[in-house]
Amino acid sequence: MRPPRSRGVIALLEENCTSCMLCARECPDWCIFIESHTEPVTAVAGSVAPAGRRERTRNQLDRFAIDFSLCMYCGICVEVCPFDALFWAPDSDYAAFDLRDLTHERERLGGWLATVPPPPPADAAAAEPREVAAARSRNTRGGLGR
Amino acid sequence: MSTADLPTPTTRAPSGVPAAPAGPSADPIQVWVDLDRRYHLSVFSLGLACCAVEFVALSAGGQVSAGRGPDEGGAVAEVLVVAGTVTDKMAPLVRRVYEGLAQPRYVISFGACSDSGGPYWDSYCVTKGVDRLVPVDVYVPGCPPRPDALLHGIGMLRDKIAASGAV
Amino acid sequence: MSAGPTASADLAALLAQRCGGSASGGAGDLTVDVPADRWVQALTVARDDLGLNFFDWLSAVDDVDAGLSVVCHLATVRPEPAGAGGRLVGHLLVRTVVSQRSPALATATSVFAGASWHERETWEMFGIDFTGHPNLVPLLLPDGFVGQPLRKGFQLQARVQRPWPGDKTSAAGQVPR
Repeated sequence: MRPPRSRGVIALLEENCTSCMLCARECPDWCIFIESHTEPVTAVAGSVAPAGRRERTRNQLDRFAIDFSLCMYCGICVEVCPFDALFWAPDSDYAAFDLRDLTHERERLGGWLATVPPPPPADAAAAEPREVAAARSRNTRGGLGR
Repeated sequence: MSTADLPTPTTRAPSGVPAAPAGPSADPIQVWVDLDRRYHLSVFSLGLACCAVEFVALSAGGQVSAGRGPDEGGAVAEVLVVAGTVTDKMAPLVRRVYEGLAQPRYVISFGACSDSGGPYWDSYCVTKGVDRLVPVDVYVPGCPPRPDALLHGIGMLRDKIAASGAV
Repeated sequence: MSAGPTASADLAALLAQRCGGSASGGAGDLTVDVPADRWVQALTVARDDLGLNFFDWLSAVDDVDAGLSVVCHLATVRPEPAGAGGRLVGHLLVRTVVSQRSPALATATSVFAGASWHERETWEMFGIDFTGHPNLVPLLLPDGFVGQPLRKGFQLQARVQRPWPGDKTSAAGQVPR
Protein backbone atom coordinates (compact mmCIF):
# COMPACT_ATOMS: atom_id res chain seq x y z
CA MET A 1 0.00 0.00 0.00
CA ARG A 2 1.64 3.18 -1.18
CA PRO A 3 1.48 6.39 0.84
CA PRO A 4 -1.04 8.99 -0.37
CA ARG A 5 0.14 11.32 -3.15
CA SER A 6 2.85 8.83 -4.16
CA ARG A 7 4.49 9.92 -7.38
CA GLY A 8 4.78 6.77 -9.43
CA VAL A 9 3.53 7.69 -12.88
CA ILE A 10 1.42 10.43 -14.48
CA ALA A 11 -2.06 9.71 -15.81
CA LEU A 12 -3.82 11.74 -18.51
CA LEU A 13 -7.55 12.46 -18.46
CA GLU A 14 -7.79 13.21 -22.14
CA GLU A 15 -11.27 14.71 -22.17
CA ASN A 16 -10.08 17.48 -19.87
CA CYS A 17 -7.06 18.36 -21.98
CA THR A 18 -7.45 21.42 -24.20
CA SER A 19 -3.87 21.26 -25.54
CA CYS A 20 -3.09 24.59 -23.95
CA MET A 21 0.57 23.44 -23.86
CA LEU A 22 1.17 24.77 -20.36
CA CYS A 23 2.54 21.45 -19.07
CA ALA A 24 4.88 21.09 -22.04
CA ARG A 25 6.09 24.63 -21.60
CA GLU A 26 6.66 24.39 -17.87
CA CYS A 27 8.31 20.98 -17.82
CA PRO A 28 11.95 21.57 -16.80
CA ASP A 29 13.11 18.45 -18.62
CA TRP A 30 11.27 19.13 -21.89
CA CYS A 31 9.79 15.66 -21.71
CA ILE A 32 6.11 16.30 -22.59
CA PHE A 33 5.23 16.20 -26.29
CA ILE A 34 1.90 17.59 -27.43
CA GLU A 35 0.54 17.86 -30.92
CA SER A 36 -2.88 19.11 -31.76
CA HIS A 37 -4.93 20.81 -34.41
CA THR A 38 -8.06 22.91 -34.48
CA GLU A 39 -11.37 21.75 -35.78
CA PRO A 40 -14.34 23.89 -36.69
CA VAL A 41 -17.26 23.55 -34.36
CA THR A 42 -20.66 23.47 -35.91
CA ALA A 43 -23.05 25.29 -33.67
CA VAL A 44 -26.78 24.58 -33.56
CA ALA A 45 -27.70 22.70 -36.72
CA GLY A 46 -28.57 24.98 -39.59
CA SER A 47 -27.10 28.12 -38.08
CA VAL A 48 -24.41 30.07 -39.83
CA ALA A 49 -21.91 32.39 -38.28
CA PRO A 50 -22.77 36.04 -39.00
CA ALA A 51 -20.75 37.54 -41.80
CA GLY A 52 -17.30 38.72 -40.81
CA ARG A 53 -17.18 36.65 -37.66
CA ARG A 54 -14.43 34.05 -37.13
CA GLU A 55 -15.54 30.43 -37.27
CA ARG A 56 -15.75 28.67 -33.92
CA THR A 57 -13.00 26.14 -33.40
CA ARG A 58 -11.98 23.66 -30.78
CA ASN A 59 -8.65 21.99 -30.09
CA GLN A 60 -8.28 18.35 -30.97
CA LEU A 61 -5.45 16.52 -29.29
CA ASP A 62 -3.37 14.42 -31.71
CA ARG A 63 -0.46 13.40 -29.57
CA PHE A 64 0.24 13.58 -25.85
CA ALA A 65 3.37 11.77 -24.72
CA ILE A 66 5.56 11.86 -21.63
CA ASP A 67 9.10 10.56 -21.80
CA PHE A 68 9.64 8.98 -18.39
CA SER A 69 13.33 8.39 -19.06
CA LEU A 70 13.76 12.13 -18.67
CA CYS A 71 10.99 12.87 -16.16
CA MET A 72 12.17 13.91 -12.73
CA TYR A 73 8.74 13.60 -11.11
CA CYS A 74 8.68 17.20 -9.96
CA GLY A 75 4.92 17.47 -10.51
CA ILE A 76 5.01 20.89 -12.15
CA CYS A 77 2.90 19.63 -15.03
CA VAL A 78 0.24 18.23 -12.69
CA GLU A 79 0.16 21.44 -10.69
CA VAL A 80 0.08 23.83 -13.63
CA CYS A 81 -2.65 22.13 -15.61
CA PRO A 82 -5.63 24.50 -15.42
CA PHE A 83 -8.09 21.77 -16.38
CA ASP A 84 -7.02 18.96 -14.04
CA ALA A 85 -6.10 16.66 -16.87
CA LEU A 86 -3.00 15.19 -15.23
CA PHE A 87 -2.94 13.07 -12.09
CA TRP A 88 -0.37 11.27 -10.02
CA ALA A 89 -0.71 7.51 -9.84
CA PRO A 90 1.32 5.35 -7.46
CA ASP A 91 2.42 2.61 -9.87
CA SER A 92 6.20 2.41 -10.33
CA ASP A 93 6.69 -0.97 -12.03
CA TYR A 94 7.05 0.06 -15.66
CA ALA A 95 10.74 -0.53 -16.37
CA ALA A 96 11.55 -1.36 -19.98
CA PHE A 97 14.05 -3.32 -22.05
CA ASP A 98 14.07 -0.58 -24.68
CA LEU A 99 14.47 3.10 -23.83
CA ARG A 100 11.74 4.05 -26.29
CA ASP A 101 9.21 2.07 -24.27
CA LEU A 102 9.65 4.58 -21.48
CA THR A 103 7.85 7.18 -23.60
CA HIS A 104 4.20 6.67 -22.80
CA GLU A 105 1.71 7.81 -25.45
CA ARG A 106 -1.79 9.01 -24.71
CA GLU A 107 -3.38 5.57 -24.65
CA ARG A 108 -0.97 4.32 -22.06
CA LEU A 109 -1.18 7.55 -20.10
CA GLY A 110 -4.95 7.19 -20.10
CA GLY A 111 -4.60 3.64 -18.87
CA TRP A 112 -2.88 4.82 -15.73
CA LEU A 113 -6.10 6.59 -14.71
CA ALA A 114 -7.35 3.29 -13.37
CA THR A 115 -4.69 3.40 -10.69
CA VAL A 116 -5.17 7.03 -9.66
CA PRO A 117 -6.33 6.98 -6.05
CA PRO A 118 -9.35 9.02 -4.97
CA PRO A 119 -8.43 12.43 -3.61
CA PRO A 120 -7.93 12.54 0.13
CA PRO A 121 -10.99 13.75 2.00
CA ALA A 122 -11.07 17.42 2.89
CA ASP A 123 -10.18 18.30 6.43
CA ALA A 124 -13.22 18.30 8.70
CA ALA A 125 -12.59 21.89 9.71
CA ALA A 126 -11.91 23.13 6.18
CA ALA A 127 -14.16 25.66 4.43
CA GLU A 128 -16.67 24.24 1.99
CA PRO A 129 -15.34 24.14 -1.60
CA ARG A 130 -16.76 27.02 -3.61
CA GLU A 131 -18.04 24.83 -6.40
CA VAL A 132 -20.08 22.82 -3.92
CA ALA A 133 -21.61 25.95 -2.46
CA ALA A 134 -22.29 27.36 -5.93
CA ALA A 135 -23.95 24.16 -7.11
CA ARG A 136 -26.16 24.04 -4.06
CA SER A 137 -27.27 27.64 -4.43
CA ARG A 138 -27.92 27.09 -8.14
CA ASN A 139 -30.13 24.12 -7.38
CA THR A 140 -32.15 25.84 -4.71
CA ARG A 141 -32.57 29.06 -6.71
CA GLY A 142 -33.58 27.20 -9.85
CA GLY A 143 -31.53 29.56 -12.02
CA LEU A 144 -29.30 28.88 -15.03
CA GLY A 145 -31.80 26.78 -16.85
CA ARG A 146 -32.46 24.23 -14.16
CA MET B 1 41.40 9.30 -22.93
CA SER B 2 41.25 5.55 -23.39
CA THR B 3 40.41 3.27 -20.52
CA ALA B 4 43.91 1.79 -20.75
CA ASP B 5 45.31 5.02 -19.37
CA LEU B 6 43.42 4.71 -16.12
CA PRO B 7 45.22 3.36 -13.06
CA THR B 8 44.25 -0.14 -12.04
CA PRO B 9 41.89 0.04 -9.08
CA THR B 10 42.97 -1.78 -5.96
CA THR B 11 40.64 -3.58 -3.63
CA ARG B 12 43.00 -3.56 -0.67
CA ALA B 13 42.33 -0.82 1.83
CA PRO B 14 45.41 0.93 3.15
CA SER B 15 46.53 -0.47 6.48
CA GLY B 16 45.25 1.38 9.49
CA VAL B 17 41.86 2.10 7.92
CA PRO B 18 39.18 0.83 10.30
CA ALA B 19 36.75 -1.76 8.99
CA ALA B 20 33.47 -0.46 7.62
CA PRO B 21 30.85 -0.11 10.36
CA ALA B 22 27.96 -2.53 10.38
CA GLY B 23 24.83 -1.12 8.86
CA PRO B 24 23.19 -0.55 5.49
CA SER B 25 25.67 -1.17 2.73
CA ALA B 26 25.84 -1.56 -1.00
CA ASP B 27 26.71 -5.25 -0.88
CA PRO B 28 25.77 -7.19 -4.01
CA ILE B 29 22.28 -8.63 -4.09
CA GLN B 30 22.16 -12.29 -5.01
CA VAL B 31 19.12 -13.30 -7.05
CA TRP B 32 18.38 -16.83 -8.19
CA VAL B 33 17.42 -17.19 -11.83
CA ASP B 34 16.19 -20.77 -11.82
CA LEU B 35 14.15 -22.76 -9.33
CA ASP B 36 16.87 -25.42 -9.02
CA ARG B 37 19.26 -22.75 -7.78
CA ARG B 38 21.95 -23.52 -10.29
CA TYR B 39 22.29 -20.03 -11.70
CA HIS B 40 22.17 -16.74 -9.91
CA LEU B 41 22.72 -13.08 -10.57
CA SER B 42 25.12 -11.02 -8.52
CA VAL B 43 23.65 -7.55 -8.65
CA PHE B 44 25.85 -4.71 -7.52
CA SER B 45 25.71 -1.00 -7.97
CA LEU B 46 27.95 1.63 -9.43
CA GLY B 47 26.62 4.29 -7.09
CA LEU B 48 27.30 7.61 -8.74
CA ALA B 49 24.68 9.86 -7.15
CA CYS B 50 21.39 9.88 -5.26
CA CYS B 51 20.06 6.69 -6.84
CA ALA B 52 22.83 4.82 -5.02
CA VAL B 53 20.91 5.38 -1.78
CA GLU B 54 17.87 3.62 -3.21
CA PHE B 55 20.05 0.67 -4.17
CA VAL B 56 21.36 0.53 -0.61
CA ALA B 57 17.77 0.66 0.65
CA LEU B 58 17.00 -2.44 -1.40
CA SER B 59 20.24 -4.23 -0.61
CA ALA B 60 19.96 -3.67 3.13
CA GLY B 61 16.18 -3.52 3.43
CA GLY B 62 15.67 -7.23 3.77
CA GLN B 63 13.07 -7.44 1.01
CA VAL B 64 15.21 -9.43 -1.41
CA SER B 65 14.39 -13.08 -0.94
CA ALA B 66 17.37 -14.94 -2.28
CA GLY B 67 20.47 -15.57 -0.29
CA ARG B 68 23.34 -17.73 -1.36
CA GLY B 69 24.99 -20.11 1.05
CA PRO B 70 28.75 -20.34 1.17
CA ASP B 71 28.85 -23.93 -0.10
CA GLU B 72 26.45 -23.56 -2.99
CA GLY B 73 28.05 -23.71 -6.38
CA GLY B 74 26.53 -22.84 -9.70
CA ALA B 75 26.83 -20.30 -12.43
CA VAL B 76 26.79 -16.61 -11.70
CA ALA B 77 26.21 -13.64 -13.94
CA GLU B 78 27.23 -10.20 -12.84
CA VAL B 79 24.70 -7.39 -13.12
CA LEU B 80 25.95 -3.84 -12.97
CA VAL B 81 23.35 -1.33 -11.79
CA VAL B 82 24.39 2.14 -12.87
CA ALA B 83 22.78 4.29 -10.21
CA GLY B 84 23.27 7.99 -10.67
CA THR B 85 24.40 10.72 -13.01
CA VAL B 86 27.19 9.79 -15.41
CA THR B 87 29.37 12.86 -15.86
CA ASP B 88 31.67 13.09 -18.86
CA LYS B 89 34.61 13.00 -16.49
CA MET B 90 33.37 9.77 -14.95
CA ALA B 91 32.44 8.15 -18.28
CA PRO B 92 35.77 6.38 -18.95
CA LEU B 93 35.68 4.83 -15.49
CA VAL B 94 32.14 3.56 -15.99
CA ARG B 95 33.29 1.92 -19.20
CA ARG B 96 36.31 0.57 -17.37
CA VAL B 97 34.13 -1.04 -14.66
CA TYR B 98 31.94 -2.66 -17.32
CA GLU B 99 34.93 -4.03 -19.20
CA GLY B 100 36.20 -5.53 -15.95
CA LEU B 101 33.09 -7.68 -15.50
CA ALA B 102 33.31 -11.35 -16.37
CA GLN B 103 30.95 -12.73 -18.99
CA PRO B 104 27.98 -13.09 -18.96
CA ARG B 105 27.37 -9.59 -17.81
CA TYR B 106 24.29 -7.39 -17.78
CA VAL B 107 23.63 -3.73 -17.12
CA ILE B 108 20.60 -2.14 -15.48
CA SER B 109 20.25 1.60 -15.93
CA PHE B 110 18.71 2.87 -12.69
CA GLY B 111 17.11 6.27 -12.57
CA ALA B 112 16.52 9.11 -15.00
CA CYS B 113 20.13 10.32 -15.07
CA SER B 114 21.59 7.05 -16.26
CA ASP B 115 18.59 6.39 -18.54
CA SER B 116 18.91 9.58 -20.56
CA GLY B 117 20.72 12.25 -18.60
CA GLY B 118 17.50 12.94 -16.71
CA PRO B 119 17.12 16.43 -15.23
CA TYR B 120 20.71 17.17 -16.26
CA TRP B 121 20.16 16.34 -19.92
CA ASP B 122 21.11 19.87 -20.90
CA SER B 123 24.32 20.06 -18.86
CA TYR B 124 27.65 20.74 -20.49
CA CYS B 125 29.31 17.82 -18.75
CA VAL B 126 26.72 15.05 -18.34
CA THR B 127 26.57 11.96 -20.51
CA LYS B 128 23.01 11.70 -21.77
CA GLY B 129 22.41 8.14 -20.71
CA VAL B 130 24.81 5.37 -19.77
CA ASP B 131 23.72 3.49 -22.90
CA ARG B 132 26.10 5.80 -24.76
CA LEU B 133 28.92 3.94 -23.00
CA VAL B 134 27.72 0.40 -22.35
CA PRO B 135 24.87 -1.79 -23.64
CA VAL B 136 21.90 -1.60 -21.28
CA ASP B 137 19.52 -4.50 -20.67
CA VAL B 138 16.87 -2.88 -18.47
CA TYR B 139 15.97 0.78 -18.00
CA VAL B 140 14.31 1.65 -14.69
CA PRO B 141 12.59 5.05 -14.71
CA GLY B 142 12.35 7.25 -11.65
CA CYS B 143 14.00 10.15 -9.93
CA PRO B 144 14.93 8.30 -7.88
CA PRO B 145 13.09 5.04 -8.53
CA ARG B 146 11.74 3.29 -5.48
CA PRO B 147 13.74 0.31 -4.23
CA ASP B 148 10.88 -1.94 -5.30
CA ALA B 149 11.11 -0.51 -8.80
CA LEU B 150 14.69 -1.77 -8.87
CA LEU B 151 13.48 -5.13 -7.61
CA HIS B 152 10.94 -5.17 -10.44
CA GLY B 153 13.67 -4.32 -12.95
CA ILE B 154 15.91 -7.09 -11.62
CA GLY B 155 12.95 -9.44 -11.87
CA MET B 156 12.41 -8.46 -15.50
CA LEU B 157 16.04 -9.21 -16.27
CA ARG B 158 15.89 -12.51 -14.43
CA ASP B 159 12.78 -13.61 -16.31
CA LYS B 160 14.36 -12.63 -19.61
CA ILE B 161 17.48 -14.65 -18.81
CA ALA B 162 15.42 -17.60 -17.64
CA ALA B 163 13.33 -17.49 -20.81
CA SER B 164 16.35 -17.20 -23.08
CA GLY B 165 17.47 -20.74 -22.30
CA ALA B 166 20.86 -19.63 -21.03
CA VAL B 167 20.21 -21.46 -17.75
CA MET C 1 29.41 36.52 23.42
CA SER C 2 29.91 36.79 19.69
CA ALA C 3 30.77 40.11 18.09
CA GLY C 4 27.82 42.44 17.60
CA PRO C 5 27.02 43.63 14.09
CA THR C 6 28.40 47.07 14.70
CA ALA C 7 31.77 45.73 15.80
CA SER C 8 31.95 43.44 12.77
CA ALA C 9 31.10 46.21 10.37
CA ASP C 10 33.76 48.42 11.93
CA LEU C 11 36.36 45.71 11.57
CA ALA C 12 35.35 45.07 7.99
CA ALA C 13 35.65 48.79 7.30
CA LEU C 14 39.13 48.74 8.82
CA LEU C 15 40.14 45.89 6.55
CA ALA C 16 38.78 47.73 3.56
CA GLN C 17 40.67 50.86 4.53
CA ARG C 18 43.99 49.05 4.91
CA CYS C 19 43.64 47.45 1.49
CA GLY C 20 42.34 50.39 -0.43
CA GLY C 21 38.84 49.03 -0.75
CA SER C 22 35.35 49.53 0.61
CA ALA C 23 32.99 47.67 2.91
CA SER C 24 29.27 47.14 2.51
CA GLY C 25 26.41 45.13 3.90
CA GLY C 26 25.15 44.58 7.40
CA ALA C 27 25.14 41.71 9.85
CA GLY C 28 25.12 38.43 7.98
CA ASP C 29 26.26 39.71 4.59
CA LEU C 30 29.33 41.80 5.24
CA THR C 31 31.29 42.27 2.04
CA VAL C 32 34.65 43.92 1.51
CA ASP C 33 35.58 44.94 -2.04
CA VAL C 34 39.30 45.37 -2.68
CA PRO C 35 41.33 46.13 -5.79
CA ALA C 36 42.80 43.08 -7.51
CA ASP C 37 46.40 43.96 -6.71
CA ARG C 38 45.65 43.95 -2.95
CA TRP C 39 43.84 40.58 -3.04
CA VAL C 40 46.45 38.53 -1.19
CA GLN C 41 47.03 41.32 1.31
CA ALA C 42 43.30 41.52 2.05
CA LEU C 43 43.05 37.77 2.65
CA THR C 44 46.13 37.85 4.87
CA VAL C 45 44.79 40.71 6.99
CA ALA C 46 41.42 38.97 7.24
CA ARG C 47 43.05 35.79 8.44
CA ASP C 48 45.62 37.24 10.81
CA ASP C 49 44.02 40.37 12.21
CA LEU C 50 40.29 39.67 11.95
CA GLY C 51 40.52 36.05 13.04
CA LEU C 52 38.89 34.68 9.86
CA ASN C 53 40.86 31.47 9.90
CA PHE C 54 38.37 29.24 8.06
CA PHE C 55 38.38 29.31 4.27
CA ASP C 56 34.90 28.35 3.10
CA TRP C 57 34.85 28.80 -0.67
CA LEU C 58 36.15 30.86 -3.56
CA SER C 59 34.36 31.38 -6.82
CA ALA C 60 33.58 33.98 -9.48
CA VAL C 61 30.64 35.84 -10.95
CA ASP C 62 30.45 36.89 -14.58
CA ASP C 63 29.18 40.46 -14.43
CA VAL C 64 29.65 40.91 -18.20
CA ASP C 65 30.44 44.58 -18.70
CA ALA C 66 31.40 45.10 -15.07
CA GLY C 67 34.13 42.46 -15.32
CA LEU C 68 34.56 39.19 -13.47
CA SER C 69 34.10 39.31 -9.70
CA VAL C 70 36.14 36.85 -7.68
CA VAL C 71 34.49 36.20 -4.33
CA CYS C 72 35.93 34.47 -1.29
CA HIS C 73 33.93 33.53 1.79
CA LEU C 74 35.85 33.40 5.06
CA ALA C 75 34.67 32.59 8.57
CA THR C 76 36.07 32.19 11.99
CA VAL C 77 36.06 28.95 13.93
CA ARG C 78 38.25 30.16 16.71
CA PRO C 79 36.31 30.20 19.98
CA GLU C 80 35.69 33.68 21.28
CA PRO C 81 37.94 34.26 24.31
CA ALA C 82 35.99 35.38 27.35
CA GLY C 83 35.77 39.12 27.65
CA ALA C 84 37.23 39.70 24.19
CA GLY C 85 34.76 42.49 23.69
CA GLY C 86 33.79 41.73 20.08
CA ARG C 87 37.27 41.38 18.65
CA LEU C 88 36.42 38.83 15.97
CA VAL C 89 34.33 39.00 12.82
CA GLY C 90 31.95 36.02 12.34
CA HIS C 91 32.23 35.66 8.58
CA LEU C 92 33.03 37.84 5.63
CA LEU C 93 32.81 37.99 1.85
CA VAL C 94 35.98 39.36 0.28
CA ARG C 95 35.53 40.38 -3.31
CA THR C 96 37.57 41.81 -6.15
CA VAL C 97 37.08 42.44 -9.85
CA VAL C 98 39.25 41.35 -12.77
CA SER C 99 38.88 42.36 -16.39
CA GLN C 100 36.98 40.26 -18.89
CA ARG C 101 39.62 40.46 -21.58
CA SER C 102 42.58 39.07 -19.63
CA PRO C 103 41.32 37.83 -16.27
CA ALA C 104 44.16 37.10 -13.86
CA LEU C 105 44.52 37.19 -10.11
CA ALA C 106 47.18 36.18 -7.62
CA THR C 107 46.57 32.80 -6.05
CA ALA C 108 45.12 32.60 -2.54
CA THR C 109 46.89 29.33 -1.81
CA SER C 110 49.73 31.12 -0.08
CA VAL C 111 47.20 32.35 2.50
CA PHE C 112 44.78 29.40 2.54
CA ALA C 113 46.03 26.10 1.12
CA GLY C 114 42.45 24.91 0.82
CA ALA C 115 41.81 27.44 -1.94
CA SER C 116 43.69 25.20 -4.33
CA TRP C 117 40.76 23.20 -5.71
CA HIS C 118 38.41 26.16 -5.59
CA GLU C 119 40.79 28.12 -7.79
CA ARG C 120 41.13 25.17 -10.16
CA GLU C 121 37.36 25.04 -10.55
CA THR C 122 37.07 28.81 -10.96
CA TRP C 123 39.84 28.71 -13.56
CA GLU C 124 38.23 26.00 -15.64
CA MET C 125 34.72 27.43 -15.36
CA PHE C 126 35.52 31.13 -15.88
CA GLY C 127 38.98 31.21 -17.37
CA ILE C 128 40.56 33.27 -14.60
CA ASP C 129 44.29 32.64 -14.41
CA PHE C 130 45.46 32.34 -10.79
CA THR C 131 49.12 33.30 -11.00
CA GLY C 132 51.34 31.29 -8.70
CA HIS C 133 48.91 28.39 -8.34
CA PRO C 134 50.90 25.18 -7.88
CA ASN C 135 48.70 22.93 -10.03
CA LEU C 136 46.25 24.76 -12.29
CA VAL C 137 44.77 21.82 -14.18
CA PRO C 138 41.13 20.84 -14.83
CA LEU C 139 39.27 19.54 -11.80
CA LEU C 140 35.72 18.68 -12.89
CA LEU C 141 35.65 19.02 -16.65
CA PRO C 142 36.70 16.10 -18.85
CA ASP C 143 39.83 16.15 -21.01
CA GLY C 144 39.35 17.96 -24.25
CA PHE C 145 36.52 20.18 -23.03
CA VAL C 146 36.44 23.45 -24.94
CA GLY C 147 35.13 26.65 -23.40
CA GLN C 148 34.41 28.18 -20.02
CA PRO C 149 30.97 26.88 -19.07
CA LEU C 150 29.99 29.39 -16.37
CA ARG C 151 30.71 32.46 -18.48
CA LYS C 152 27.52 34.15 -19.59
CA GLY C 153 28.58 33.89 -23.23
CA PHE C 154 28.86 30.09 -23.10
CA GLN C 155 26.11 28.42 -25.05
CA LEU C 156 24.49 25.21 -23.83
CA GLN C 157 24.64 23.10 -26.95
CA ALA C 158 21.98 20.70 -25.72
CA ARG C 159 19.37 23.44 -25.54
CA VAL C 160 20.31 24.73 -28.96
CA GLN C 161 20.19 21.40 -30.73
CA ARG C 162 17.05 19.97 -29.18
CA PRO C 163 13.75 21.57 -30.17
CA TRP C 164 11.67 22.77 -27.29
CA PRO C 165 8.45 20.74 -27.03
CA GLY C 166 6.63 23.81 -25.78
CA ASP C 167 7.56 25.76 -28.88
CA LYS C 168 4.57 24.76 -30.94
CA THR C 169 2.00 27.45 -30.80
CA SER C 170 -1.16 26.40 -29.09
CA ALA C 171 -3.44 24.65 -31.46
CA ALA C 172 -5.80 27.61 -31.48
CA GLY C 173 -3.64 29.32 -34.04
CA GLN C 174 -3.45 26.46 -36.51
CA VAL C 175 -5.37 25.85 -39.67
CA PRO C 176 -8.02 23.12 -39.28
CA ARG C 177 -7.18 19.92 -41.10
